[in-house]
Amino acid sequence: MAMDVSLGQYYEGKSFIHKLDPRTKLFFVLIFLVATFVASDVYAFALLVGVVSLAIIISRVPLRVVFKGLKPLTFIIIFTAILNIFWAKGETLLVNQELIPNFLTITIYKEGLINAGIFALRIIVLLIGTSLFFSYTTTPMELTDGIESALSPLKKIKVPVHEFAMMMTIALRFIPTLVDETSKIMNAQKARGADFSSGGLIKRAKALIPIIIPLFISSFRRADELATAMECRCYRGGVGRTRMKVLKFGVRDLIGFLLTGMLLAGVILINIYGNGYKI
Amino acid sequence: MSIIELKNVTFSYGKKTPYEMKALDDVNLCIEENLITGLIGHTGSGKSTLVQMLNGLLRPDSGTIIIDNEDIWEKPKKIGDVRFKVGIVMQYPEYQLFAETVRDDIAYGPKNMKLSEEEIDHRVRQSAEFCGISEDALDKSPFDLSGGQKRRVALAGVMAMNPKILVLDEPAAGLDPKGRREILGGIKRYREESGTTVIIVSHSMEDMAMYCDRVIVMSNAQAIANGTTKEVFSKKKLLLDAGLDVPEITHVASALRDIGVEIDNDVYTVDTAFEAIKRLHSSLNEEGSDE
Repeated sequence: MAMDVSLGQYYEGKSFIHKLDPRTKLFFVLIFLVATFVASDVYAFALLVGVVSLAIIISRVPLRVVFKGLKPLTFIIIFTAILNIFWAKGETLLVNQELIPNFLTITIYKEGLINAGIFALRIIVLLIGTSLFFSYTTTPMELTDGIESALSPLKKIKVPVHEFAMMMTIALRFIPTLVDETSKIMNAQKARGADFSSGGLIKRAKALIPIIIPLFISSFRRADELATAMECRCYRGGVGRTRMKVLKFGVRDLIGFLLTGMLLAGVILINIYGNGYKI
Repeated sequence: MSIIELKNVTFSYGKKTPYEMKALDDVNLCIEENLITGLIGHTGSGKSTLVQMLNGLLRPDSGTIIIDNEDIWEKPKKIGDVRFKVGIVMQYPEYQLFAETVRDDIAYGPKNMKLSEEEIDHRVRQSAEFCGISEDALDKSPFDLSGGQKRRVALAGVMAMNPKILVLDEPAAGLDPKGRREILGGIKRYREESGTTVIIVSHSMEDMAMYCDRVIVMSNAQAIANGTTKEVFSKKKLLLDAGLDVPEITHVASALRDIGVEIDNDVYTVDTAFEAIKRLHSSLNEEGSDE
């Protein structure tokens, strides 16, 4: 059954992006997020779309996988896009009560349509960009190691960085286990005639009790067992702990940092000097 | 009469991903009515997948599953009905308990079947009795029970649905010998009294030999043997090749034959071994008295 649950979202590969240090990827994603929100010129936006497309090609993660990750968010993307259509005010009127009588009481401007399209695209680019670097090409372990290392200066002001990273590692580690467990319990209750997909809201919520209670109980049991196992192996926090995989910056990380910097600079320059449609 | 028939059933996990794995490959088999059929195979041979096919938890990629002369996937929306006909007790079923009392947990299945209060109460008592759950335990919380008792409650929860076919995935895994005997003995008694068709998945050749009328052997996503317990356990090489074994006592018998003791060929349980040795002993005595 475990085969059915992909381990996180990681897509195995040996590309340039896979091999980047997780801290480089963190830096890139941070800058990329800023750049996506800052981009106010269509050409700057096009640059970001281009960078994401290039990254997909380099990483060799199939498009099918990338878009499958977007599927659960389709509703939110469409919903926000539709809201945006009615939100913006512009010059070119497309729909209002006088042009198309009796068609509700809405007004739509051409600018609203364009903004909605770009807004949706912005969310998509954002999601693909982050998930490509964080989940498809980085294992959860690498990512938490990277975060721990990047935040380690905070230890000086007594922030328990290691403890947070360990909590995150454990949480991530147990997601597939819990998914597996949930489907097992669901199957067991379905075999006893449980019906999760019909009836009203309250009935459906009630139908979940036979799943949630066993799941909670087994989670507590697992947590207990894990704590015992960690103590048996003398775990006592981060002080003096060595690592099996030590993070190391390489030449490709230098290239990564440079390209990231150039991306931000490019977006800002186009914003200022570009003469494309202003979003 | 066969009650379950699988025709060319194929199923894969993780389709169209790098992790694709074939769990059932063109499986054809029949399961006889009113008998206890054992399903054996090494880990990952497709046993559990096959079990989940039987009540429509998984849908085959291709092929048909006929239960009680009906193709269960003919009307996919009615797949829920199959689950009342085929009761499945999953591996480690004690982790699926959830209700406040043992009684409520056992009643969960019958309640889903929308039976009357009296009928539910009757079935709860009946199945609790079969599984060796005492009357006063019915009002306890299932979480206060021991592991073996929890397992029995879970088993009773499925039995209470009175399914025509009862499927048990490793019902005795992780239990002590006494717990094993009680659970498996209870299942055997239940079958004798109710006439239910029972399928038991197990790794234990001893349990298979002791409790099953027929045995199906799975290996590498295929059913490689299907016959009476005697027929299957006589194919020692096939079992060993499939990563399985014959019961320990059968090894003892064949070792005895190798050194010239004329013990019967079909010794699969301690009881039959005992009978065979007794016969051997008395025939030796007769020879002795002849002289």
